[in-house]
Amino acid sequence: MEIKNADWYGLLQDTNWTPKYVTEDELFPPQLSDPYGIPVSEWETFDEPYKVTYRDYVKTQREKDVGAYSVKAAVSRVDFYKQSDPGWKAVLQMHFGAVPFLEYGSVSAFARITRFGKGPGMRNMASFGTLDEIRHTQIQMFFAYEFLSVDRAFDWCQKGPNTDNWVIMSERHCFDDIEHTRDAVTSAVMLNFAFEQGFTNLQFVALSADAKRYGDFSFATMLQTVQSDEARHSQIGEPLIEILVRNGRKEEAQKLIDISFWRVWKQFSALSGIAFDYYTPLAHREFSLKEFVQEFVTTQFLRNLKALGLEKPWYWDEHFLPDVETYHHAQQIGIYLYRDTEWWDPIAGVSPQEREWLEKKYPGWNETFGKVWDVITENLAEGRMERLTPTIAPVMCSMTGFELTGVPGSKWSVKDYTLDLDGRRYHFGSPVDKWIFEQDPARYKNYYGFTDRIVNGMIPAGPEGVYEYMDMSPEERGTCGMNFKWAEALEQMA
Amino acid sequence: MSEIYALACNYEGDYGLKVLYVNSENTMREVADIARQHIAGVFVPEPNEGVALRVRRHGEQELLPDDLKVVEAGFIQLETVDIIHVPAARA
Repeated sequence: MEIKNADWYGLLQDTNWTPKYVTEDELFPPQLSDPYGIPVSEWETFDEPYKVTYRDYVKTQREKDVGAYSVKAAVSRVDFYKQSDPGWKAVLQMHFGAVPFLEYGSVSAFARITRFGKGPGMRNMASFGTLDEIRHTQIQMFFAYEFLSVDRAFDWCQKGPNTDNWVIMSERHCFDDIEHTRDAVTSAVMLNFAFEQGFTNLQFVALSADAKRYGDFSFATMLQTVQSDEARHSQIGEPLIEILVRNGRKEEAQKLIDISFWRVWKQFSALSGIAFDYYTPLAHREFSLKEFVQEFVTTQFLRNLKALGLEKPWYWDEHFLPDVETYHHAQQIGIYLYRDTEWWDPIAGVSPQEREWLEKKYPGWNETFGKVWDVITENLAEGRMERLTPTIAPVMCSMTGFELTGVPGSKWSVKDYTLDLDGRRYHFGSPVDKWIFEQDPARYKNYYGFTDRIVNGMIPAGPEGVYEYMDMSPEERGTCGMNFKWAEALEQMA
Repeated sequence: MSEIYALACNYEGDYGLKVLYVNSENTMREVADIARQHIAGVFVPEPNEGVALRVRRHGEQELLPDDLKVVEAGFIQLETVDIIHVPAARA
C-alpha cells in the first residue's frame, strides 16, 4: 500500500535536534549560518510552498531529462548549428561560455545552505537545489560539447572560468559576492530571491521563447527544463524573507535585495539584453529586453516584494528603469568593437531594418547609440578596416567589471562616479554601483579589476599582453560573426 | 623626469570612458589631440572644421588652459577628464 506524501511529509520535514555534544553556535557558526540572531524556533516555521520528496524528485527529474535529451537526439544539432544565422550562433556561443560555470558555482552555494541553514525545510529544499544545479551544469555542458567539432568557441564552456577573461572576471566578481562569500541566510536571499526569482526567467524563459521562434527547439527545451527547477528551488527565498521580516530584520532584508538585484541586473542586462535586441534574428524576436523586463521583472518581481511587505529598491525609478533602456545598448557597442577579447563571434545587429526595430522599441536610439554605429558603419563601408579595432582600452566600472558607459551621440551623458579610498581611486558607472561599494568597503576595496590590472602593470604591456593574460590564442579570439559583410547590404541600398 | 599617466578619458559623444595614456609633460592641447587620434573616426566623427578640442576635469565647467601640462594640473593616475568640442574662436 503506497503511503501518500501528505500523510507523512509534515512528520519527516522536521530534521532538527537539540545538540548535546556541541553548542548551537559550534554546529551553526553564525558567520556561516545566521548572523541575524533569529531563534531556532522561528527557523523551524520555514515552510516551503512546493514540497517534494526525494522519490518524487528522482522520478520527475528523470522524466524531464528524457524529454530534454530526446529532443536533442531527434535533431542533429551540428547541422542545425552550421546552418544557423550568425546572430543565433553568437547567442549560443555567448550563453554556453557565460552560464554553465555559474550553475556549477551554485552547486556549492546550495550545498552550503544545505549544511548551514537552520530551518529544516530550508535545508531540504537546498539539498534538491544542489542536485538541480549539478543537473544544470551537466545538461548545458553536454549540449555545448556537441558543438566542439564545428566551433572552437564552445571550448570556453569549460575553459572560461579557468581564465581571467574580463567577461568571466566580471561574472565571478558578481556571483562570488552574492552567493559564495556570505552566510547561508544572506546567500539565500541574494541567490534565490533576487537572482533566481528576479532574473532567471529572462535568460531561461524569455530566451526560450526566442529560441522556439527561431526553430531551435532543442535549445528551447533545454532552457525550459532548467527553468522548471529554478521555479522550485528559488522558492527558498520567500519563506526566508518572511522569517526575517517577522523577526525585526526587514531593513536588513531590504538592503540585501537592493544590493543583489542591481548586481545581477547588470549581468543580465548585458547577457540577455544583447541576445534579445541584437543577436536574435529580427524576424524571430518575441519581445525587446525592455518588454521582457516589464513582464518578467518589473511586474512579477515587484509583486513578490510587495507581498512580502518590502519596498521596491530605492534606485528603481531614477536609475533602474532608465538603465533598462540604455545600458545594454552601450555594452553592445563595446562588445562588438572589442570582439577579439571575447570567446564568441559578436555581430553588429544594426542593419537598416534592425535599426528601425531598435528605434521603435527604444525611441531616440538613432540619435544616441546610432550615432556611434554611423561612424562604425561608414568605416566598414569605406573599407577603413583598421578603424574597426580600437587602439584604446575602455575603463571598466570598479563594481560591474563591464565598461563604464552612458549615452553617446546627440544626448551625450557619461558620468564617472568616483570614490577615493586608502590611496586608490575607484570608478563607478552609476550611483548604485558606488552605493553598493560604500555599504561594505572592506569587502570590495582590495579587488583589482581589469582596468586596474592594465594600469598597474599586472597585465603585460604590448599588443599581445592582454590576450596572454586572458589565455586567448589568436584562434580563440572573437571575430565579426558576419565576417564584416553586414555593411554590404547598406552599400547596395546606397 | 617625465612620467606616463593613465587618464580616464570622457570624449564628447562617445558611449563610455577610455584609458588614455599621456606623458606628464604633455600639454592639455596635446592630451586632447592624443584622445582624438584614438577616438575620433572610430567611435565618434572627426571634429568639424572650426572646432577645437579642450580638456576639463570631469564634472567641472571650467576648461583647462591649452598650455597647462599634465604634471602641473595635479592629476592623479586615472584622473577623469572630459574632452569637449568648442568653436575654435571661443577656444
